[in-house]
Amino acid sequence: MTQTDTQRAGGRDTVPRSMRRSFWGAVMTNGAYGSVTGFLFKSQRRQFLLLASLPIFWILFANIGPILQMVRISFLDSYPPTVGYQPQLTLRNWNNFFAERIFIVPYFRTLAYSVVFTVATLIITYPVAYFLAKHVKRSSQLLFLLLLLIPFWVGEIVRTYAIMILLGNNGAVNLILKSLGLIERPIPFMYTSFSLGVGIVYLTALYMLLPLYSALEKIPNTYLEAAADLGAGAWTRFRRVTLPLSKEGIASGCTLVFLISTGYYAAPVLLGGPSTTVFAETIAGFFHVAGDQWPTGAAFSTIMLISALAITGLFLKLIGRSGKGLMQ
Amino acid sequence: MTRITANRRAFIKTTAAGAALLAAPAIFRGTPARAAGVVNVWTYANFLPPEFKEEFQKETGIQIQERLVDDQGKQFNLLTAEQPNPTVDIVTVAGHRFLQFIDAGLLAPMDTARLKNWGNINPVFSESDWAIIKDQKWGAPILSGAEVLAYNTEIVTPEEAKSWDVMFDKKYEGQTAYIIQDMMSVMMLYKGYDGNMIEYMDNPEKAAEIVKETRDFMIANKSMVRKFYDSGAEIQQMFVNQDVVLAHAWNGPISKLIMDGLPVAMTIPKEGSYGFVYTFNIPANAPNADNAYTLLDSLLARPEIGANMTRTSGFISTIKGAEQHLSDLEKKASSFTEEELKGLQFFRAEANDMKYKLVDPAVEEIKAA
Repeated sequence: MTQTDTQRAGGRDTVPRSMRRSFWGAVMTNGAYGSVTGFLFKSQRRQFLLLASLPIFWILFANIGPILQMVRISFLDSYPPTVGYQPQLTLRNWNNFFAERIFIVPYFRTLAYSVVFTVATLIITYPVAYFLAKHVKRSSQLLFLLLLLIPFWVGEIVRTYAIMILLGNNGAVNLILKSLGLIERPIPFMYTSFSLGVGIVYLTALYMLLPLYSALEKIPNTYLEAAADLGAGAWTRFRRVTLPLSKEGIASGCTLVFLISTGYYAAPVLLGGPSTTVFAETIAGFFHVAGDQWPTGAAFSTIMLISALAITGLFLKLIGRSGKGLMQ
Repeated sequence: MTRITANRRAFIKTTAAGAALLAAPAIFRGTPARAAGVVNVWTYANFLPPEFKEEFQKETGIQIQERLVDDQGKQFNLLTAEQPNPTVDIVTVAGHRFLQFIDAGLLAPMDTARLKNWGNINPVFSESDWAIIKDQKWGAPILSGAEVLAYNTEIVTPEEAKSWDVMFDKKYEGQTAYIIQDMMSVMMLYKGYDGNMIEYMDNPEKAAEIVKETRDFMIANKSMVRKFYDSGAEIQQMFVNQDVVLAHAWNGPISKLIMDGLPVAMTIPKEGSYGFVYTFNIPANAPNADNAYTLLDSLLARPEIGANMTRTSGFISTIKGAEQHLSDLEKKASSFTEEELKGLQFFRAEANDMKYKLVDPAVEEIKAA
């Protein structure tokens, strides 16, 4: 907006004659309106703040606020509030985690699973993303992406049940193996680390694939051609050109998948077995049983959140360092 | 910073549109909790038959707003969180959880005088000692159930299923499932102890010993288990998929499988098991208590409604004469022999405080083992 525009803000000349009698015309020719909009649009900083205010409010209200509330509850001795009792501050809920070995096991199991599933998702989706970015005609790429997106139009629970239908004793996989004469009795895929892994990889694949595709698609083909001209074989080209240049996509994808994996609840409940209990299930238990268990659940949730963010931060730092000098 | 150009006319229109969008929830919000023609019900899936709901809404003009629950603890927490102004008029409490809800001041006593059809409930349920606490009744019993041994009839024989032993027979390793917390009580009974733990109220050391023994037994036999499950839908899915051939289960979901013609049967083994009754209760300060009483009275009006509730939920109706409106298959799927019923005792709540302080950590230990 130019200085002249600002001076004219709220002036009658900015409003066409035909509009002046309408509601909007009345509003726009009002002096107060002119002062407000003139003030708001006076500088780019104000314009930016005006545009950013709603998203910032949303993030504070819907994301940061509930987390802070959860942290607050984790220090209370009683929640939900009961009539006539004033909750006291306590560290007992945090101590519970370190005092009992039974909680440490699912905690570390969750972190280990998340790392393994993240790596598995990366290994499985990288070739798909590479094929999509480098071997599919640009005009067809959108169609392929759309095909990959379709399963994500249904909910997580439905997709989890799809895995159950595939891997069950009477599921498609066992039926195919049986009909091929490879097995006599069904293989018990379900309710194991395997079924849980398949489920999590399937559920999170797109979160890995899209950042990877985005990073790979940006790599100019001329770089790869130049490397080939200089005598680099396929593996060397991948190791020295493609991989370093897709590092950002790997970092984004792994961060997303790792954080999502640590928090998955429904999939482990439905696909996991007696020996695959994850921390989310333990936390949910505190919210399901009656009594003053919410504060313990809140403390455990905070511990998991801090751990996941710390590991992600460490990973990003490492990948940041490893990038130095790769292309030198 | 990128230069942002803004047109004031566009700005004011966008602002107005944004304001309208923010106000939309108020415009499109569903019927509020407190409304003349509404009754808010928290209950399990299929407890209220669709035909009954339709008929009730047409006859009374009262709209039923249903919220599905699947766990007593969750329901307790939700109701506690909403105090002192709950948004619900009827909750579904299991008889053995009454005390907890009453002690927390969450329920209003049931004024049976306001229910002209109260007499239609089988007195076994309406006049039982568990139903009367602090000299008052706190709910209308609607459905009863039992913790049963369910089995695939093509693989497990009825003789094998006569005892809980079969759940630990190596022949069926990795092919069993159970609700771990409920199974703890059943296993205490199986070992000859009081799973309600009332006998040990004055001897907490003994209670702790029993829980520890049961926990160790279940850890030692963990390889037998394919899945610790939570909901009826899960165990149904596992039987349909033949992922398991044996399970500890509530009779309702298994009954539905039998009605659907699957090769599944259920029994109460000779060591016994626990029964429970679901009751509809009116919370303290319910926003539409009058409508809640109207709904309860309609629900108890005719045995056909009870039969329909059995048909949709799989649990046994508490209404007198309901069984006469069931087909032979439905009767078979929702009843037990005299011999089986001998071993059935009801869950009791008196020792719950002590019991669950011991059982809850034990459950986590079994999972973590």
